[in-house]
Amino acid sequence: MEYPKEQIEDLKGYCSKVRAAKEGEITYLYLEDLRLPAGCTPEVCDGLLCPVARDGYPSRLFLSVQVSPPYPRNWNVSNARIGEKNWYVFSWRVNLVSPTLVQMLVAHLTGFTKEK
Amino acid sequence: MNTSEIDIFEFSQRGEEVPHAPAYRVRIDGETVTVDTPRPTGELLLGKVGKRPCAFELIEEFVHDKNDVVEPGEEVDLRRRGLKGFITAHKEIVTIFINDQPYQIERGERTVAEILGKVGQTPDGYVLLEEKKGPPMPLPANLPVKIHGCEIFFSQPQSGGSS
Repeated sequence: MEYPKEQIEDLKGYCSKVRAAKEGEITYLYLEDLRLPAGCTPEVCDGLLCPVARDGYPSRLFLSVQVSPPYPRNWNVSNARIGEKNWYVFSWRVNLVSPTLVQMLVAHLTGFTKEK
Repeated sequence: MNTSEIDIFEFSQRGEEVPHAPAYRVRIDGETVTVDTPRPTGELLLGKVGKRPCAFELIEEFVHDKNDVVEPGEEVDLRRRGLKGFITAHKEIVTIFINDQPYQIERGERTVAEILGKVGQTPDGYVLLEEKKGPPMPLPANLPVKIHGCEIFFSQPQSGGSS
C-alpha cells in the first residue's frame, strides 16, 4: 500500500528521516530519530508507524525502546520482530476517523501525555 | 561611523535638537542599532534586538532619568530632545498564542489545565500541543509548562485512549 507523498513529507517534521518498510502485507513507515513528548526518556528513538489495522488496533506506533513516559503505560508488546529489528508498543487505541499520517502519529504520541 | 547616520545618544548628551537624517543610531540595552525612520514603532525597535512585544516591553530613556513605556504600536519620535535610548524588560504578564489567538498569562511555570482554561477547555477532553523547534507536540498534562512569552499552543480533542 502506498501513502500520500505530502503526508509522508509532513511526518518529516517529527523525525530525521522517513522511509517505507514493507513486511508481509503491511507497509510500515520507519521514522528515524522520532521526537517524543516532553517528559519522555529517552527524548528521541526510532518509530515504526503501522497506519493500518493490526493486532486488533486500527493503527499502531512501534518504538525501538520501551520509553519511560510521564504516565505509566501498558506495554503489551515487547520485542515484536519487524524488519529485522525488535520493537515495543503500548496499548493505545486511536479513534480518529480517516486521520492523516501526522494526525495518527500525534494521536499515538498523545498516549504518553495523558493518564487514561 | 556613516556620516548620514545621526547618533541620538550624542545629541541627547549635548542637549541639542536631533536633525533630520536618512538613518538614526539608537542604543537599545546598550546595543547600537540603526533605524531608517525618525518615527519607528515600539515593536520595530524591539525587533532590532531580536525581541517581541509578546514577551518584552520597551522603555524609552531620557536624560535626567525620565523613563516611559512604549506600547508596541506606538510611534516613537527619535528626534525628541533628551531621548538617549531604550531599554527592554521582560514582562510579568506575557502573551501566548492558543489556536492562533493571543491570550495573556503570568510568566513562569503554568499547568496544562491553566493554559487550556484560557480557551474554555480542560485536559479531560482536550490535548494541549506546543509548537517549539518543530511541529506541534502534545504536552503531558502532569508536567509544568514554562512560559516566557510568545509560546505557540494548539488544542485538539482527545483522540485516543488506553485499551
